[in-house]
Amino acid sequence: MRAETVSTHRGGMWSWLFQRITAVLLIVCLAIHLILTHIANIGELNMENISARLANAGLTAVDIILLAAGIYHALNGLRMVLMDYWFTSRSRAFGLTIGLWVVGVVAFGYGIWALWPWIG
Amino acid sequence: MSARPRETANVGAGLWKATGMWAWLLFRISGLILVFYLGAHIVAISMGQFDKLDALFTTFDNPVLVLADLALVVAVLYHALNGVRIILMDFGIGIHRHKVMFWSAMAVVVICFAVFAYVAFTFLATGKGVM
Repeated sequence: MRAETVSTHRGGMWSWLFQRITAVLLIVCLAIHLILTHIANIGELNMENISARLANAGLTAVDIILLAAGIYHALNGLRMVLMDYWFTSRSRAFGLTIGLWVVGVVAFGYGIWALWPWIG
Repeated sequence: MSARPRETANVGAGLWKATGMWAWLLFRISGLILVFYLGAHIVAISMGQFDKLDALFTTFDNPVLVLADLALVVAVLYHALNGVRIILMDFGIGIHRHKVMFWSAMAVVVICFAVFAYVAFTFLATGKGVM
């Protein structure tokens, strides 16, 4: 029993659930992202065709979802790893969570600022 | 598999002989690589605000970086498909068929990788995309 519960569920119920929800969002949006950037436009990426693409509201939405879900999924995953080794006590884990939320919100704000010409 | 009941089996001793632990380790390593890539990606792409993006894209057409990009695709595909396997397990799908589930996921990784590799090597050989 113990072996099967290694590295799952311990970060809390909500973070476990959101990790799965963001995972599904990322699979769908990353597939779109990779097909457009890698397969359709390899070697031809520039500000002009990216701007043209972002003029499509749906693709701007994909980028915003990628930004938000990607940051949450990445930092929560990093949190799970760090909690296995260094942030093992409850208080340290809480400090880590707060710190990563600050990093995440700053990164999200920075990304939205870059996307602003197409959002605003 | 051990014939002994799970309660008395020395689970830890054979842990690294199981496919699952390697799946777990690679999941973790690919995840960490992707965390740091995402950070770099957000910073780099936001340079569009400073009109530096076009020069950056030209840099990334360098063959070495095209191959590095392809390696990154491997990390993404492995992490994505192993993640799908884990979510299916959460729903109870395939919990009695662990190895079949894992190798099926890896088959999807290989098929998707073949498509991305074809595009990348076509670009390296001809300087053009496939579409």
